[in-house]
Amino acid sequence: MMTLIRRELLDNLMTFRFAAATFITLLLVVANTFVLITDYERRLASHNEAVKMHQRQLQEKITYSAGEVRVDRPPNPLSIFNVGFDKRLGNEVRISHRVVPSLWDAGMHGSDNPFMDMFASMDIVFIFEVILSLFALIFAYNAFAGEYESGTLRLVLTHPIGRGKILVAKYMSAMLCLIVPLLISLLLAIILLTTSTAISLNSDDFLRIGGIILTSVAYLSVFYLIGLLISAATRRTSTALMLSMFVWGFWVLVYPNVILTVIPRLESPEALRASAFNRIENIWETFDRERKHYLATDDFPGEDWGYDLRGWGSRGANLMGNSQRLLYTYRSVMNFEGFGEKDEPKMPHAQKHFGFLGALTIDAADRTWLIRKPALEEIFIQPADMERIWLKLSPVGLYDAATQAWAGTDLLGVRDFFHAARQYRQSVINYFYDNKVFESRQWFSGDKGAADWSGLPQFVFQRDDINTNAKRALPDVCLLLMINVVLFIVIFLIFVKTEV
Amino acid sequence: MWHIAKRELYDNLNSLRFALATVLLLGLMLTNAAVYLHEHPRRTQKYNAAVTESVNDLTVRADSLYTLAREGPGLLYKKPSPLRFCAEGGETFLPNVVGGAFLWSISGGLKGFWRLNYPSTTPNLTDIRPNVTKVDWAFIIGYVLSLIAILFTFDAVSGERELGTLRLMLANPMPRHTVLIGKFLGALISIGIPLTLAVLMNLLLISTSSAVQLGPDAWGRLGIIFIIAVLYTGLFLALGLLVSARVSRSAVSLVILLLIWVTFVVFVPSTLASIAGGFSSPMSTDELWQRRGELYAKRWERYDAYFAERVERSKEIQFKGKHVIAEAEEQERVNEEHLAQQIDQVKFARRTTQISPIAIAQHLIESFAGTGFERHLQFLENTRTHARQFRKFIADTDSGDPESSHIIGIRQGMSEKPVNPAALPKFEDTLNLSQDFNAAMMDLLLLVLLFVVLLSGAYLAFVRVEV
Repeated sequence: MMTLIRRELLDNLMTFRFAAATFITLLLVVANTFVLITDYERRLASHNEAVKMHQRQLQEKITYSAGEVRVDRPPNPLSIFNVGFDKRLGNEVRISHRVVPSLWDAGMHGSDNPFMDMFASMDIVFIFEVILSLFALIFAYNAFAGEYESGTLRLVLTHPIGRGKILVAKYMSAMLCLIVPLLISLLLAIILLTTSTAISLNSDDFLRIGGIILTSVAYLSVFYLIGLLISAATRRTSTALMLSMFVWGFWVLVYPNVILTVIPRLESPEALRASAFNRIENIWETFDRERKHYLATDDFPGEDWGYDLRGWGSRGANLMGNSQRLLYTYRSVMNFEGFGEKDEPKMPHAQKHFGFLGALTIDAADRTWLIRKPALEEIFIQPADMERIWLKLSPVGLYDAATQAWAGTDLLGVRDFFHAARQYRQSVINYFYDNKVFESRQWFSGDKGAADWSGLPQFVFQRDDINTNAKRALPDVCLLLMINVVLFIVIFLIFVKTEV
Repeated sequence: MWHIAKRELYDNLNSLRFALATVLLLGLMLTNAAVYLHEHPRRTQKYNAAVTESVNDLTVRADSLYTLAREGPGLLYKKPSPLRFCAEGGETFLPNVVGGAFLWSISGGLKGFWRLNYPSTTPNLTDIRPNVTKVDWAFIIGYVLSLIAILFTFDAVSGERELGTLRLMLANPMPRHTVLIGKFLGALISIGIPLTLAVLMNLLLISTSSAVQLGPDAWGRLGIIFIIAVLYTGLFLALGLLVSARVSRSAVSLVILLLIWVTFVVFVPSTLASIAGGFSSPMSTDELWQRRGELYAKRWERYDAYFAERVERSKEIQFKGKHVIAEAEEQERVNEEHLAQQIDQVKFARRTTQISPIAIAQHLIESFAGTGFERHLQFLENTRTHARQFRKFIADTDSGDPESSHIIGIRQGMSEKPVNPAALPKFEDTLNLSQDFNAAMMDLLLLVLLFVVLLSGAYLAFVRVEV
């Protein structure tokens, strides 16, 4: 057995294709890692700038009602491996008691030249997707067909070795050869990563990279086995080669690009959207009635929500909705710098009103989210997930999905941020309640001391730990492994039945 | 020579690769046509609706020359090309509208005049669907056809040498270049058959649909695109022959060819573009806003300084008019500068990628399909021309009104008579073939040059082949 492996290994290592494979993979990975690191550093810088700017803008606001807390999503350093949704989806979101924030309310900062988006960006996983599959097939096409043609297969089989062992030896040695360029190039990429000062990888990140390597090996093995299958089934090198190349062209080049245009795109369910929006509108109409009812029945004459305050500053309020995003909210902002003397007696009434309004708004926003969340899920997420399943019919799609999950740049990974943003909103609201911010004078006026933003809880976004990544990646990795096993068994059966 | 071409052709027609290539190309081209027929009518409808709305807005404004001059020509839309199925050309990343924005008020309670404003595409931040590459002709030709070309020629010389038939063939009293050209033509024709078939099926499907009308101009463009496709295929065939003649074993020849293909077709364009893009840093949107703000503040200072002392009334109106016009002009200049810097960055990146034949071919197909970046630049140029015409029209109409005091920029100084909407200059976003041809000339030459170099390389290699 070991002799067999050694023979095969030497055969493979001394070939031109091995040298070429190693060289090209190294070249591409290193060149692209440079580009990707620069890009990441630029995004990180723009993130830091945005954080600072949002801090500054917040500090400038003298009233709580005018202040807008914004939180920013930092770029994921592992997006260098698989960029996924990291660059595409919104990276800043407004935290307010009026709306429960979600992916659909996010904005974007830091894209300087939108024209440059015309050029596709490549991550390391994309390089592997294309290159490794090609090499695996080039290594495999003549594994049986070649030996069959040259007659060495007959020679080998005269020895008292089981056919299974020969197969295993071939597989092991070829895989060992194929893993070499993969590992060396990844190692170089990691070294490059660690030299960059902007990128700090923790131990979890290294485990995630380990997961990516594992998935890459499984992916490589699938394509090697496909090549082996073709080689064992066709028995002629030239046919095996041609078939392998077209299989590669189809699975790597054509299928992932064409499939989504071929399957009918699900129209988003308009009826569902309409009914959900209707219910949300109802919530806010009730809200508005209760608000007006309070103004009419409180012990202050008049129904003006601003309590006829005449001061220096601005005020504005409106109910607004967006049926596309199922968004609805009531926004009232009052930003006064000072008041006339007549206004003082009105103050306690106004303060009480804003206290009431704050609680009412939070309640309406929370109830809206209960309707909005499942509706968004059904309208946006489910069709997209269906399309992803179609993509996963190709090993390329599986590999892409699994590595995205490991890197945390998949949809779930990005949505984690918005989950954290929602939790942060809750803690901001708690802070507001604890400090009686809604009832405070600073809610609408800065004349007796400006709003104090320094006590606000800090937002920190920690990517989920490795367990979550593993949990999300495992189904796809398992599928890849299963394909491996099935292919291996089929090849074994064909090989055992082959007459030499 | 024809004899050899015919022999090659028959060889190929019976082969597995011919069958697979035919199926692949047909499938892709039919998909392309189906997707296009589904999308194009909607696109045209949207464009027409937008243009109608824009024209209606303009008609409303035409009740007073002043309002018209102040609010400008409105939104100018890019006409969708009927040949979008040939090249999608990154149109999703290019804005399809240029607007004449105006401000309600600028310094001193004056109303601002319109200036050209170049919005950028707003990326769809809620698009959580997986990425979709458009299966256009540029993709099919650029990636699939070139791969097929390599698979047809990698064993053209080395394979025959391995079999020993090369020696036999060269024993005939036939010059070697005839053999090579014969092989080249044979391969070209055998790829040309499935390609032509697929293209014809595609066009048949598209032209029989009532939703799309292709004029003679469009057919001319399609012809040119087809010639480009053939030239591009020839380039890869020549490359295949070159490597095949240099290398003694077909397996090695294929490995080398695939590596070249993967590097130059798949990786070089985007990697080089990213590297080249990193060399320049155009004005960012934040900087643009800052610059605008600074200019605005300076204008205001100048205004205040002028009115610090008493001015007589006629001069006051004159100054205000100039003030308004100058404000719009300088803001427009900043917009232009911002845009020009962005465009320069993209242009540089595009030029760098021209090392790769696929980038050349895609640029060419885009130019003739009337999509993509060059077309966008044409559209921008069209809007500028229109803006000039519009301003000239305003000035001319104003000077034709005896009641006006001809001070453009302020209500008191201008004619307020209604304007006949039919007399307004119309914005026509035209596709101009000769203009496209000029833009594409460089690319075309480069492609031909590459082709000639590779073919002569193949010739030299083949002449020196030892049998």
